Amino acid sequence: MSERRRAELGGDRSELSAAEGGTTSGRRPMSDVDVAVARSRRHTARWAAISLGVVLLLFVAVLATRKSAADKQAESPLLGKPAPSLTGTGLEGSQVSLASMHGKWVVVNFMASWCVPCREEHPELVKFTQRHQAANDAGVLGVIFDDTQPNVRHFFSELGGSWPVVDDPGGHTALDFGVRGPPESFLVDPNGFVVWKGIGQVNADGLDKLLREGKARGA
Amino acid sequence: MSARWRGRLPWLVMGAVLVVALVIGSQGRSGPMTEAQRVRHIASEIRCPTCRNQSAAESDAAAAKAVRDEIDRRVRAGQSDGEIVAFMVSRYGSDILLKPEGSGVASLVWVLPVVAVVVALAGLAFAFRRWRARPGVEVSAEDRALVERELQREDT
Amino acid sequence: MSATLGTAGVWLGLFGALVGVVTLGLGLYRRDPTLLEAGRKYTWVIVAGAVLGVVAMESALLRHDFSLKYVAENGSRQTPLLFTITGMWSALEGSILLWSIVLAGYLAVMVHHFRKRATDPLVGWATLTVFVVAGFFFALMAGPANPFRVIHGTIPTNGPGPNPLLQNHPLVAFHPPMLYLGYVGFTIPFAFAVAALVTGRLGEGWLVETRRWTLFAWGFLTIGIILGAWWSYEVLGWGGYWAWDPVENASFIPWLTATAYLHSVMVQERRGMLRIWNLSLLLATFSLTILGTFLTRSGVLESVHSFTESPIGPWILTFFGLVVFTAVGLIAWRGDRLRSPGSIDSPVSREGAFLANNLLFAAFCFVVLLGTVFPLLAEALNGDRLSVGGPYFNKMTTPIVIALLFLMAIAPVLPWRKASEEVLRKRLFWPAATATLVVVLCVLTGLRGLAPLAAFGLGTFAAGSAVRQLALSARRHGWRGLIGRANGGMIVHIGVVLIAVAFAASHAYGHTHEFRLSPGQSARLSGHTVTYLGSSTVKASNKTSVSARIRIDGGKVYAPAIQQFPFATQAIGSPSVKSGLRDDVYLTLAAAPDHPGGTAVIGVIVQPLIIWLWIGGAVIAVGTVLAAWPGRRRRPTAPVSAPVETETTGPPPEPVGVSSA
Repeated sequence: MSERRRAELGGDRSELSAAEGGTTSGRRPMSDVDVAVARSRRHTARWAAISLGVVLLLFVAVLATRKSAADKQAESPLLGKPAPSLTGTGLEGSQVSLASMHGKWVVVNFMASWCVPCREEHPELVKFTQRHQAANDAGVLGVIFDDTQPNVRHFFSELGGSWPVVDDPGGHTALDFGVRGPPESFLVDPNGFVVWKGIGQVNADGLDKLLREGKARGA
Repeated sequence: MSARWRGRLPWLVMGAVLVVALVIGSQGRSGPMTEAQRVRHIASEIRCPTCRNQSAAESDAAAAKAVRDEIDRRVRAGQSDGEIVAFMVSRYGSDILLKPEGSGVASLVWVLPVVAVVVALAGLAFAFRRWRARPGVEVSAEDRALVERELQREDT
Repeated sequence: MSATLGTAGVWLGLFGALVGVVTLGLGLYRRDPTLLEAGRKYTWVIVAGAVLGVVAMESALLRHDFSLKYVAENGSRQTPLLFTITGMWSALEGSILLWSIVLAGYLAVMVHHFRKRATDPLVGWATLTVFVVAGFFFALMAGPANPFRVIHGTIPTNGPGPNPLLQNHPLVAFHPPMLYLGYVGFTIPFAFAVAALVTGRLGEGWLVETRRWTLFAWGFLTIGIILGAWWSYEVLGWGGYWAWDPVENASFIPWLTATAYLHSVMVQERRGMLRIWNLSLLLATFSLTILGTFLTRSGVLESVHSFTESPIGPWILTFFGLVVFTAVGLIAWRGDRLRSPGSIDSPVSREGAFLANNLLFAAFCFVVLLGTVFPLLAEALNGDRLSVGGPYFNKMTTPIVIALLFLMAIAPVLPWRKASEEVLRKRLFWPAATATLVVVLCVLTGLRGLAPLAAFGLGTFAAGSAVRQLALSARRHGWRGLIGRANGGMIVHIGVVLIAVAFAASHAYGHTHEFRLSPGQSARLSGHTVTYLGSSTVKASNKTSVSARIRIDGGKVYAPAIQQFPFATQAIGSPSVKSGLRDDVYLTLAAAPDHPGGTAVIGVIVQPLIIWLWIGGAVIAVGTVLAAWPGRRRRPTAPVSAPVETETTGPPPEPVGVSSA
């Protein structure tokens, strides 16, 4: 079997180049070896690899600069718009509405008794209401998310706090506010516009800071 | 009839039967949906708000039920699919939809795969044309004789 | 004590990997065989470290040693024994520990298998690569994902136990280990691909030797994915089994490139072609496993599976960047030298079919990957927040699957080099006729919908082609006609067809409804009758369940439940399923009765052919084992690349069931 043939079947580069050195005149049509060599001079694989490499580099850069999914949801289509109407039965049985709190800053707080972070943020909300009790410029309006009034009454008697809490039996209020799951809070300014949405626990200092910024903006 | 066409005949018959069957088969399921089906259809394109990755049609969660109830109410009120979907987006944000909609950056997710396939097919066609332009492999007489000898040896 | 033991194990493994890398690196640089022989021995140090870590963790879990932070967060005295054991991999740090021991195991087998060629630089480079990967995972455990962190301060007396969803079903004992046996198994072929590129030696036989590795890893990954789907179906309560969730996709994407590789490597063996494709597919498969690990553990994507966030993300992303840089760099450096002089004569040929197969799987991989990461890309580009869910994936992948089913039917009967129309017509006649018959029967019995009918037709076509191959092979070789790569492959194809058909049927013809029933009341859905008998509350050691007793079709009683775990936030639903060959009746308790004897809301989902998904999985497993079985070695002079046939010379010999080495 010819040397050239053996080289092709073995596919070894060094033997190919040795065989290549053996080809002589141009009378014979292009042999397989010549074609292979010509192809490799075009470096297709190299260019393909390099362009893919650049794309992947960009991809890695994008991935490196992402925030976690949990942080991203605090953007809401309601920001800057009037808050959806919110009425319902309070824990004592009387009617409660957001409209009745017009003129104050309101923290609309969606919560549930089975929700562990709600339990942790509750003392902060208590602190917030106590701080603003005298000036009566801000308050909290709770909304029950997928829970029952008896459970929430027990929750409040356990952890304190005495702001109005609206029942939301069909989940319509949660839908109107675009709530994914408790705890979520919305800050509504005295004119009834939603200025902030928070996912997860809130704290009194953070809320106060938002209040100060809002007042400075001249709400 | 030439041999080739005689051989193709059963295939043509099968093909015709298949096409007829598929055409019949594609009918009958469309037609106006009942209200319940419409609700389910719209809900299946909306994410369940509290779940990680299910549609509002599939999930049992309270938020998903609220979404289904709202869709039901609006379907009965005569709103179109587009209006109902737009309402949901106006409350939850555009990521409540399970499929990216239409324009701008969102359309890339639909366009890019098609572009990739077209480019791949073009590359393939190009490669085949180049390969075909090459002359065939030349086999020398001594190589042929060698292979013949080996084959005969194996067959005995 | 467990903490010290475990930490010692982690550092031992890290030490072994690092020293091994240095030793082998020096040995390869200086071409010193003694160093190469010595370097590979550090494998046993790595194995010892991994074993020590696992033993420490399991003993801590079993002894309820709550001084360990991991046990305090994932263990509980009330959790049953099985779920305590599986608790090792129920959270992030433990899953890295599982990864390490699987990798150490594979490394040990590899080093032992190639011990006689230990001084070969190719084996040396491969071992070095696996050492680097192992070193990375041990470094993760030494750093951000430390499973052996100790609690400072008061030690709790009890813990919350694993996530309730992970205590619900025994499949949690099988799905993650199987998945990891697959996922991690691809490290070995990757290492050899890197070694081949670095040394420039590809023509030799390393490919055949690692083929079985890839086949086993692929097999485990396939079974792992199917078990995951089964577990999801039995536990999550929505009646579905595949949600195109980012974590599901993360395990599926490498599967696609691995499947493409298993097919495409046959072209390399027969004709020495598609070498760069094959190397790229191996490199891509491993890179995608690392990318998948990043996506599921970094928290950038929401998912059913999301592990809790930890600072592990940047580490994995850096490693991914390193892997990709190495892979791309190697191809750019060496790739063009590996191109074979051969070419594909005709697109209608076995080689052409495999090339088309590669492209289809690449497209599939691209679509699923794009859909999974697109929310991140869109947000980076212009802040758009959007989701890509099931409807997108189903729509985009259906045409690809249809094309793949078609290819599955045609490729086994295509000869190498070139096919003629007569050959194809003759060989495919009976599969095509059966397929047409099946479609006609389906339409006549009232089934409608283009996508499911196309799936049924093409599925029959592909299965018919596979059965034909098996029949011919069995006729010629008896029982031995069922083993070996080609025949095992045909059995695997049959399994895939079963799954495709079941997937299409269950999606197109499922029915779901919720019924409010009082005790004794019945309801009907899709030909099945469900009768609500009553409900009861049961307290077990780790949970309280409210369950409803439902009699299906006047027969057995099933009990869907709502379970409350003491430390969990919400109650979780626990469905109950009656599986049959024709369809499954899936029951959930949507709302328990408020008072004893009150009405309950029962969810009923009836979906056809679900059980064939799991049967198809079993068939794939059997086929994989048969494919890996060593068959008769092919005679070197058996006509493979036969002369290109013309109409006058007649068809080339049928390449049937001759198992290759």
